[in-house]
Amino acid sequence: MTIVQQLVAGLGVPNFQVLIPEIIVLITALLVFVLELFTKSRILISTVSVVGLAVGALSILTISEGAITLYGLYIVDSFSLAFKFFLIVFTILAIVNLQPYVESKKTYYGEYYYLIIFSLLGMMIMVSSPNLVSFYIGLELMSVSTYILVGLWKKDYKSKEGAFKYLIMGGAGTAIISYAIALIYGKTGSFDFARIFHEVQDKSDIGLTVAVALLIVGLALKASAVPFHFWTPDAYEAAPTPITGFMASVSKIATYAVILRVMVEAFPLNNAIWSYGWAVLAGVSMVVGNFVALKQKNVKRMLAYSSIAHTGYILAALASPNGMGFTALIFYSLVYLFMALGGFIFLSAFEKNGNWTNDIEDFKGLAKKHPIMALYMLIYMFSMLGIPPTVGFMGKFGVFLALISSNVWWLAVVLVVTSIVSAGYYLRVVAYMYMYEPVKEGRFYLNPIEKFTVGFLAVMVLVIGIYPTVFWEISNVLTSVLIMNIGVR
Amino acid sequence: MTPEFVNAGFPIITVSILIPLVAAAIVFLLNEKFAKPISIVSSVVVFILSSYMLLTYDPSGYKIQFYEKYAWIPQFGISYEVGVDALSLTMVWLTAISFVVAFVWSTNIEKRVKEYFIAFLVLEAACIGVFVAWDLVAFYVFWEVMLIPMFLIIGVWGYSERIYAATKFFIYTFFGSLFLLIGVIGMYIYNYVENDVLSTSYFDLLKLSLHYNLEIIFFLLLALGFAIKVPMWPFHTWLPAAHVQAPTAGSVILAAVLLKMGTYGFVRFNLPWFPEASKYFMPVMFTLGVIAIIYTAMMAIAQTHIKRLIAYSSVSHMGFVTIGTFALNQEGVNGAIITMISHGLTSGALFLAAGFIYERLHSYEMKDLGGMAKFVPVFATLFMISAMASAGLPGLSGFVGEFLALLGTFKVSILTATLAGLSLVVGAAYTLWLYKRTMFEEELLTEEKKEEYSKLKDLNTAELWSFLPLVIFMFVIGIYPNWWINLINNTTHFVLHKIVGG
Repeated sequence: MTIVQQLVAGLGVPNFQVLIPEIIVLITALLVFVLELFTKSRILISTVSVVGLAVGALSILTISEGAITLYGLYIVDSFSLAFKFFLIVFTILAIVNLQPYVESKKTYYGEYYYLIIFSLLGMMIMVSSPNLVSFYIGLELMSVSTYILVGLWKKDYKSKEGAFKYLIMGGAGTAIISYAIALIYGKTGSFDFARIFHEVQDKSDIGLTVAVALLIVGLALKASAVPFHFWTPDAYEAAPTPITGFMASVSKIATYAVILRVMVEAFPLNNAIWSYGWAVLAGVSMVVGNFVALKQKNVKRMLAYSSIAHTGYILAALASPNGMGFTALIFYSLVYLFMALGGFIFLSAFEKNGNWTNDIEDFKGLAKKHPIMALYMLIYMFSMLGIPPTVGFMGKFGVFLALISSNVWWLAVVLVVTSIVSAGYYLRVVAYMYMYEPVKEGRFYLNPIEKFTVGFLAVMVLVIGIYPTVFWEISNVLTSVLIMNIGVR
Repeated sequence: MTPEFVNAGFPIITVSILIPLVAAAIVFLLNEKFAKPISIVSSVVVFILSSYMLLTYDPSGYKIQFYEKYAWIPQFGISYEVGVDALSLTMVWLTAISFVVAFVWSTNIEKRVKEYFIAFLVLEAACIGVFVAWDLVAFYVFWEVMLIPMFLIIGVWGYSERIYAATKFFIYTFFGSLFLLIGVIGMYIYNYVENDVLSTSYFDLLKLSLHYNLEIIFFLLLALGFAIKVPMWPFHTWLPAAHVQAPTAGSVILAAVLLKMGTYGFVRFNLPWFPEASKYFMPVMFTLGVIAIIYTAMMAIAQTHIKRLIAYSSVSHMGFVTIGTFALNQEGVNGAIITMISHGLTSGALFLAAGFIYERLHSYEMKDLGGMAKFVPVFATLFMISAMASAGLPGLSGFVGEFLALLGTFKVSILTATLAGLSLVVGAAYTLWLYKRTMFEEELLTEEKKEEYSKLKDLNTAELWSFLPLVIFMFVIGIYPNWWINLINNTTHFVLHKIVGG
């Protein structure tokens, strides 16, 4: 036994050792918090954060056996471990790209780092909650940290507006979720997913239906599904771009994971009314997200709407409440991390330059000046559009499979039609990069870290697209874990 | 009827797909000046490989030859499964020869040379992949990959309206192919539900006996994807735009290879998979085919832009392929396949001719052209042969296919055959019109024009060598079609085996 294990054994909580990743992340956050008071060196702070998170990610690999701890408030299984691993890794990627960005913007806020890490901790708690209470705590920790992250540019009007909208909408979402939790508790007498599952199995009454509907609304708000998406474009546009990337990829994926977990483990599959709710929300998200994105001239805002549309694509898999649907959701979520973070880091790399405004006009002739970067962006765009051999195609393919196997043809058709609409704006970016002459003189300065991140993610998008077997296998395993968990305990 | 599989001793097909990709990677890494020779050499190697396959293909019986199969995504029963029958093989061969021509022609490209050749090389790999894939997901992947380089080729190296044309091309094709994808997934799921087999292999889906209504639905889903690609009337509007704006080599590939994917899809998938639906839709397809033939031939006559004229003529010729295919008999389908090959050669050559004229006179408009023949005799001869082959002069390739297609159609519907046959006259008219307005009418030339023309250079070596292979094979097919018909006969038989029995 290591010292840590002995220490925690002393606390008397069974299986405490499976909490090591969370403890490491928490210690990192606190360390950065304290460090930030004494030093102005951004490099030191970001190094400490990265090292701490890397150790956290590695510690996940040491956990060989899942367990329930904190007396049933916390579950560590392959599902949560896998998601935690990806969340931490992508948070690291976001953090390393934050440093050059804030440096060039001359906004020295050390708060960025520990807020991101606290937000990450919230997500980690969220994805491994078998209980509405820990679920709620995790969700709130994530959300509150993100509100502040968006609004940290106090002097910028847009930042304030974005943060304010996000706070109000997010707060409303939280209120709705707590109301739903109260109703569920009133009906079933428990917060525990498994207990709720047994209680509601054969029941269907108005109270429960309302509770589930409220829960869906609250979660949809957090996942920025239409019609609860109004905060998304503003918050995404206002936040510093690497933070936007963090929100659009890591936070989103954690939210999808928790939606999947709550829905599948707490509410029975055999009469899954919730799947209709998600199907409608997904359909509306695809339509609105894609059509509004068509009108955007600012690429950052366009990507924000594209992320709403992707919420639609990913949640559409819930319209097929069976193993195939869950696998498709997990797969698409995991691979969406690569595209979303890559796209935003691409913007952040260019945004450091004073004469870059994220406007589509700035993309003119980019392929001439930065052929390699333009190629990466081309890969992201075609991946989001869903053209093979990029991984975006495999994601949509999985969703199609799930929808058609459950005979949800209407949603499949909506997906097809909106995908075609989305070609309009993704292709525009490619066309501006490749088919126009450059309007602005000179090359842009790019940091090697950013070049590496964008390149690495783009290559992964291609590699996983060509050989998706590993990721499908991961998704399959996670799905089976999830389904095995139903009603156990 | 289950086909035999002859495994490849040497993975010749995979190698043919990989060579252009590897060449693209090399071009990417090396200096710009190596781009052209590397591309030409790699395409010639692919052409040699495909010719080797063509010559060693065993046409007796129906066998899938040079067959390879490896697991790819085992969770869904998706594999990388390639092989050729005569239909695939002729199309691969056509692709290979068209790309040799395109690369040789492209030696005068100066704008963004590296990207240009990389785009074409990736396109070549994807096109070959489409024709050899027997796994539906692999097929779909190749089918879609092809969109990206073609989008860039039209959009970057095209003329003034290029971005509009490229986007239109992309969105039209993408629209069709998503419905194709839904159709394929539907079949896959149905197969899983019925037989508990997870497989996207062509042959497993072939064994499926579908309910009549389902057959109709799947037929329509797939047909939408293919019809846009062919393109059949009324989905053809992207084609003139794309052709007019694309660079010459892009037009050649578009006409010679990409259009064939649509008709290939009909012959390969719709007929064997949905025999009943094919019979049911025969009148519809005949109607659309005849409209395409007559209407677009009329449109072609009305054009003054020579590339647009050739583009419309392509739609018209593809109409023959459609009616030949849906005659659902041996002659018709044979004729359709031969027409596909022949149209690949002739339309490629005609677009080269248009490119040649533009390069010399900087215009595609008929009013700026005319009277060239005397000044560029070699070109005029080759152009004449291509035009005649396209119009269907006996002894050249165009005649054989269209004659067979009409023969097949005549057995089923005299009216359709008559209407389509009459339009051959219109076809001859616009081809001769095109030739007359660009090559003859020397007496209309002003003195200064004559002065200008006397400085025109005839075909240079690269141009000559891109024309020659096409023209040679127009004669080869035209004079000895038997070899080709013999080659594809058993494949056609297989395609029709559920419809005519046996």
